[in-house]
Amino acid sequence: MPRVNTFKVKVQTGQQGTSEPVHFNFNNHKLPFENVTGSAESGKEFEGSFDVNSFAHSLTLVGPESGKWEIEKVSIEYDCENEKPYTVHFGRVTLDETTEMNIWQDPPVLAFDV
Amino acid sequence: MNFIKRFFSGMKQDVETESTVTEVEESPAPEVPQPDPESGDTSNFPPIRRVLQIAVISEGIFPKNSDEVLIKAQPSPTGDQCLFTVNRALMKGHSWYFSDFESAAESPLAEALFCLDDVETILVCESTVTVTRKDKTLVDWVPLAKEIGGAIREALVAANGLIAEKIISGLPSEEEIREGIQTVIDTEVNPGVAGHGGNISLLAVKGNSVTIQMGGGCQGCSAADLTLKQGIHTSFRKAVPKVGAIFDETDHTAGLNPYFS
Repeated sequence: MPRVNTFKVKVQTGQQGTSEPVHFNFNNHKLPFENVTGSAESGKEFEGSFDVNSFAHSLTLVGPESGKWEIEKVSIEYDCENEKPYTVHFGRVTLDETTEMNIWQDPPVLAFDV
Repeated sequence: MNFIKRFFSGMKQDVETESTVTEVEESPAPEVPQPDPESGDTSNFPPIRRVLQIAVISEGIFPKNSDEVLIKAQPSPTGDQCLFTVNRALMKGHSWYFSDFESAAESPLAEALFCLDDVETILVCESTVTVTRKDKTLVDWVPLAKEIGGAIREALVAANGLIAEKIISGLPSEEEIREGIQTVIDTEVNPGVAGHGGNISLLAVKGNSVTIQMGGGCQGCSAADLTLKQGIHTSFRKAVPKVGAIFDETDHTAGLNPYFS
């Protein structure tokens, strides 16, 4: 597991959004995003980032405390120590007060043509 | 707790450090709600959320509609095996595990690979080949991977069939695989890992490939990979010889796992 310097999230909301602040859970610590632009309301795009500077055991995007949040697409740009920056994309999912989604992916393993 | 301290100190490096010499009046710790042990009432606690595992959107590793045979090699992080992904099907809908040269008889692809010096075992699954090597001390896969890529390409170009006809015609049904694997889990694997507070469950069967999940003490355990490869794989293949790929879908970083307890 690498040391995460920063990560930046971009969430495209579908028909049903939320007006609550968006939180993530890093190693079981629930925190709000920083540098937020846009929103998680219906049809809108939310962007937020966080300077973590710690080792990632788990990282999740937390559902709203009330109502449902229909997500069309989530893109996360990771900047980890001793790794090239990489981006991970997740597809459609609906979050609510009982759920959170895993957004952590280890850096891609080096692949080569043979 | 050291970890938590490191985590927060790492995040807030720009916080003023002068305050460390300022005396701060200690306020009494807030009262932490405790569950009632008799009634089991946990209503004061925030609910434990379910972690959803959403598939990553893959952007594809090969250009579309290429006539050329393209092969990518991807060594595992532990270096003990290498995954070769080919831009065409090798065994549609099924998988097959070749444990040694004898098992590769009449299968041109596996025969060609076992002719290479350092190849120990071969798993063919859909459009991938996973190879383990005999010499576990070598971590550089590039020389062997190039030879393996050449052998796969030659077998594909020769087009004499990649897998023996007797294997294809004798592939078991999903029900046979499910029954056999579930029996091994219930009678052999789970009683074995129960001593460590662990459990294994069968999530899915597709063709003759199975997907399992490790739970309890196995989830997040540092020896999970060893348990999987030396214990579970061996038991499965001994009891159900026609089982192909064995996938582990355990998220060892999620939930209330041993990392944090």
